[in-house]
Amino acid sequence: MFKKNNSSVIIIKCILFIFLLSFLLSKDSYAQYRTYNFNQPGNECYFSYICFAPDSVYNSIKRPFIFILGQEDQTAQQIFDGDTIKNSPQFHKYEFLYLPSKGINAKEKLNCIESFVSLVTHGFKFGHVNLFFQVNDTSIIQSDIAAKGLNKVFRSTRMNYLNEDVSNKDLMTENILERFKETAVVYDPVKKPKEDIGIYYVEEDTIKNPDIDTTDDRPHKTFFGPPEVFNYTLTGVIRDKATGEALPFANIYVKGSTNGTSTNTDGYFTLLKVPSDTSTLIVQYIGYQKTEAYLTPKTAKKNFIIEVKPQSQALQNVTVTAYKDDVVFVKKAEVSTIDLAPKKLEMLPSLGEKDVMRSFQLMPGVSASNESSSGLYVRGGTPDQNLVLYDGFTVYHVDHLYGFYSAFNSNALKDVQLYKGGFESRFGGRISSVTEITSKEGNQKNINLGADLSLLSMNFFAEVPIGDKFSSFIAFRKSYQGALYQALFDKFNKRSSTSAPVNQNPFGRFSQNQDIVSYFYDLNGKFTYRPGDKDIISLSIFNGTDNLDNSFSSGIPSFGQYNSNFSTSSTDLTRYGNVGSSLKWSRKWNSKLYGNTIISYSNYYSHRDRSQNRTLFNPNNESSSSRSGLLENNDLKDFSFKSDYQWDISNSNQIQFGGFGTYFNIRYTYAQSDTATILDRNGKTLLSGVYLQDKLKFLNDKLQFLPGIRTSYFQTTSKVYYEPRASLSYNLTDWLILKGAYGKYYQFANRVTREDILSGSTDFWILSDGKSVPISSSIHYIAGISYESKNYTFSAEGYYKLIQNLTEYSLRINASPMGINYNENFFNGYGFSRGVEFLAQRNSGNLNGWISYTLGEARNHFDVYSSSYYPANQDVTHEFKIVGLYKYKRWNFSANWIFATGRPYTAPSGAYSITLLDGTEKDYFTVTSKNSLRLPDYHRLDIAANYKLLMGKSGDKKRREIGYIGFSLFNVFNHLNIWYKQYTIESGKVLETNVNYLGITPNLTISLKFR
Amino acid sequence: MKLRIIIYILMILSVLVACNKADNSEFTDSPIVESYLTPGNYPRVRISRQIPFSSNVKYSSDDVNALSINILHNNISSSLTPVGGGQYVDSSLKVAEGDRYDLSFTYNSKSVRAYTIVPSKPAHFAESVTAIAIQKMDSTSGFPSFGSMPDPISLTWDNTDGSYYIVVIENLETKLVPVRNFGSDTIPGIRFRQPPTTASGLEIRAMEFQYFGKHRLILFHVLPDYASLYSASETSSQNLTNPSTSIMNGYGIFTGLNSDTLYLNVNQQQ
Repeated sequence: MFKKNNSSVIIIKCILFIFLLSFLLSKDSYAQYRTYNFNQPGNECYFSYICFAPDSVYNSIKRPFIFILGQEDQTAQQIFDGDTIKNSPQFHKYEFLYLPSKGINAKEKLNCIESFVSLVTHGFKFGHVNLFFQVNDTSIIQSDIAAKGLNKVFRSTRMNYLNEDVSNKDLMTENILERFKETAVVYDPVKKPKEDIGIYYVEEDTIKNPDIDTTDDRPHKTFFGPPEVFNYTLTGVIRDKATGEALPFANIYVKGSTNGTSTNTDGYFTLLKVPSDTSTLIVQYIGYQKTEAYLTPKTAKKNFIIEVKPQSQALQNVTVTAYKDDVVFVKKAEVSTIDLAPKKLEMLPSLGEKDVMRSFQLMPGVSASNESSSGLYVRGGTPDQNLVLYDGFTVYHVDHLYGFYSAFNSNALKDVQLYKGGFESRFGGRISSVTEITSKEGNQKNINLGADLSLLSMNFFAEVPIGDKFSSFIAFRKSYQGALYQALFDKFNKRSSTSAPVNQNPFGRFSQNQDIVSYFYDLNGKFTYRPGDKDIISLSIFNGTDNLDNSFSSGIPSFGQYNSNFSTSSTDLTRYGNVGSSLKWSRKWNSKLYGNTIISYSNYYSHRDRSQNRTLFNPNNESSSSRSGLLENNDLKDFSFKSDYQWDISNSNQIQFGGFGTYFNIRYTYAQSDTATILDRNGKTLLSGVYLQDKLKFLNDKLQFLPGIRTSYFQTTSKVYYEPRASLSYNLTDWLILKGAYGKYYQFANRVTREDILSGSTDFWILSDGKSVPISSSIHYIAGISYESKNYTFSAEGYYKLIQNLTEYSLRINASPMGINYNENFFNGYGFSRGVEFLAQRNSGNLNGWISYTLGEARNHFDVYSSSYYPANQDVTHEFKIVGLYKYKRWNFSANWIFATGRPYTAPSGAYSITLLDGTEKDYFTVTSKNSLRLPDYHRLDIAANYKLLMGKSGDKKRREIGYIGFSLFNVFNHLNIWYKQYTIESGKVLETNVNYLGITPNLTISLKFR
Repeated sequence: MKLRIIIYILMILSVLVACNKADNSEFTDSPIVESYLTPGNYPRVRISRQIPFSSNVKYSSDDVNALSINILHNNISSSLTPVGGGQYVDSSLKVAEGDRYDLSFTYNSKSVRAYTIVPSKPAHFAESVTAIAIQKMDSTSGFPSFGSMPDPISLTWDNTDGSYYIVVIENLETKLVPVRNFGSDTIPGIRFRQPPTTASGLEIRAMEFQYFGKHRLILFHVLPDYASLYSASETSSQNLTNPSTSIMNGYGIFTGLNSDTLYLNVNQQQ
């Protein structure tokens, strides 16, 4: 009974199933086809086609497509009617497209297929995987399909007539099912890991499935349809894919043309005259993959976001395209401009710290042989003639620890540009060069933490986004008195023992209490708020401080009945640093006008105290103290306001203009005791002005001309200063560019270096007063040529720089019987520098690097020293540098070798002694003509190796870089490079001692980051 | 083509950067003058030569013992007499306070010149005590911490115009009794000094005295050019410059000074 019942249920089910099937099949035949036109009449690709979905669902994108190209002279309707495949239930979910075969030959007939496919499958995410093609036209053969590249568009192509010719097989049994089989899995692919964070590694031997090649996830062209808009303006922003950080100074151009631009400091770009909304854009940014962006009519025309990935760090060697892999990058179209990727600095050898300023010193035109200066000697200029802008405010002092390190923590930096000369009108106030530093805004997608530990310092950073409108970045670095710090510190301080103080106290060392606390630290912070698409408000904070203490104190307790307490301390303290902050508001007013306004504060302070302090307590316990020795104090305050605008008028005309105002308050005091102040300069003034520059392109964008003018009003002199400037570049070919620049530059605040060997040199800034410290100026003339191929860059530039109104300062006493006038010790002079630089760079592949050579000359003329030109202190005739980087699996190896002509110096010509009133003798030197001698040539080889630390197992696709271990060896040959010479008189003879720079110095760095 | 352009540019630039060797004018044989003019004394000048840095240096043919040295005072020029060892004296002229003296002579075919004005005698030079008592110390490493030291001696004088003063302290005993056991240290001299000051007083710490006995405290009123001799002279090639001097075509010191003296006894504390 039960069995019977059961079988009847099965029968009923079968009936129902057959009924349902027949219903479905009958419904098929009633499905509606649709007829459309492709293009407009007159277009060569104008035709009518039929679109047919057996299930009547026309808007599904999760389906296979079969394109059927009819026989010659058949209309779409005829093809549709003659087709039988559509009736197959296996193709129920498919969509069919029937298009006529138009044209006189196979080539013409296939001409429009690709764009047609592109149009109808727009939004069809799964590429070519489920697109099929059937050709009924007998005049088309398989090779024609391949010639048109259609075999890449379709997963498979079926030449229908061949099947018909062979035999009239039943369509259902022919391999058509196999041929047009849908790969359903692609509709719901394995969810891509949320990968955008960090750099992933895939090892070569683990790549087995080329279909899921994660390393090649560059964007693909997905849209092939006709453009809708022509010659339009595209605006957008270029960002780091992993962190969402906007990338400044990235290049973006239309593929196959010279139409291009670069992003501004906030990562925004305006690309005018984009040929069509189906063009391809190319984005290039140092340290990042060259990326192609494919426009479609659906892409945003405003605020188009292009995300680029950090350079491929895949361990496999089968990279598809050779990406540029630079650490530094000579800008092709700009004159004398170098871009540096702080991200990649760890690849270069370093003395304990990766350092942007040190890395620039490996480029031509920037001197590398001055180990005790992080400041840049650019083309015969001195570091104070180099404008250092950090997020828009000026940094006046860039040295840490006597100049062996720069004050910039590279973990906090996003981009650094160096303009070696002939720079634009938007920069001013310096006569040699500009270093423009943009700090990191911080990860906008995720929290990130990191730490570095080296033999010199500890370094921490944190990136905290709050919501999607606020991001923050904080980095802190502090040195600790490890072996490396001590070695450098001692280099300066051991000499204090060789030179006895005038008034030596034999008891001094008895209870002396040497508790040296010397250190440097720096703090970088940036807080960015984006209320909308148009505005960015960011606050940037920078603080770098050095505290060098070589003091000791002796407290003398006394119990005597008639004695009071008395203590003495000897101080040798140098404390200097920068504090700066800027508040920036950037606004994209419209697609053509971008502006940013900055208010900033920058303070440089330097406090030198080398003195004896004596404190006396009388029986009533009242204390009195007196101090004698050297007290030097420099305090510079810079309050600035500036507003810069960029107006993209047309493709070939971009105007930049702006205004600025700076209020300076610079004070310098020099005292020998707390009562005897020798020098006290206190300058307060206002510098304000405007600038205008226009970037023009001519001759099909081949010629770029950038004239500009900057005018400044300096309150102290009540004069207006005009600085006309212009640069020119001409593309002889796509690869070969000629460049030239001219410019006039003024500098209103000057730094004077007072070298002090006893406890390091001190620098102080003073304002021009138009009299004893005149306003210095220079004129640059630059000409160059650069050649850039896919893998190599060659460039040569020559420069000539005329400098007027240089000021040097000496605290040597200019005494007469009538008095000592310290203020008279400002010497004025003039000079010039000229030279030629060459660079050959290989920018891709596992082995890359560069060779640079500079032939230079820097001459000064100060009447006080000589009646003719003499070599300036920073003059280096030949400088040759070679940098090599090699990548092997998880290792990065690098080496650099520097050779430089020795610097000029002045030696004693003679010496004499004078018997002083107390009967002691004091020695004095007379000198040769200024800088007439040369130190021996400088050379140094540094090597480094980095091993990437990865998280995850080998072969794991989520294997990610979390840091590295770096080992470096500074001065491998232990070559004794002479820093300076020291002279003493002993038994009637002048003795010379060489004081050398660092010998071989190893260093170890461990760097870890969360992301 | 490219190469040719590069070579061409290189050639132009190398012409631009053609070297012209700087003249290496080396040792100049300038004389060293050493002379302190004190009121009531005869002018005495010592002339010497520089110690050359390089060995192959040629001195001028002038003999430092046979120069014709003149001092002009009140429009009267007098010639100094050589007494050997580069020293010259003028026994016809006594130096007077407030007067100007001009020195001139020819050396190495150049006219060497200097002048000075003898400053005034220090006024109201006073000391806070005339005697102090210090414990004798046996330790070589300094005085014991439980020991007691007297207060510093305070010296004062008038200084209304910011003049430079220097104090020199000199032990006058013929038999020196050290305050401490010097051990292997260098035996200190009988004099010590305080650096020049523009103040109107200073303090001498008791522990600066090395010997017991009678001391002379000399306060010199000096001129700025003498004070400048004390400024730290640089010995590094990075910033060597010629020393400060008020002597034209020469180096050294030609200066007037005036002094006053006080006495102080350093007694041994029992």
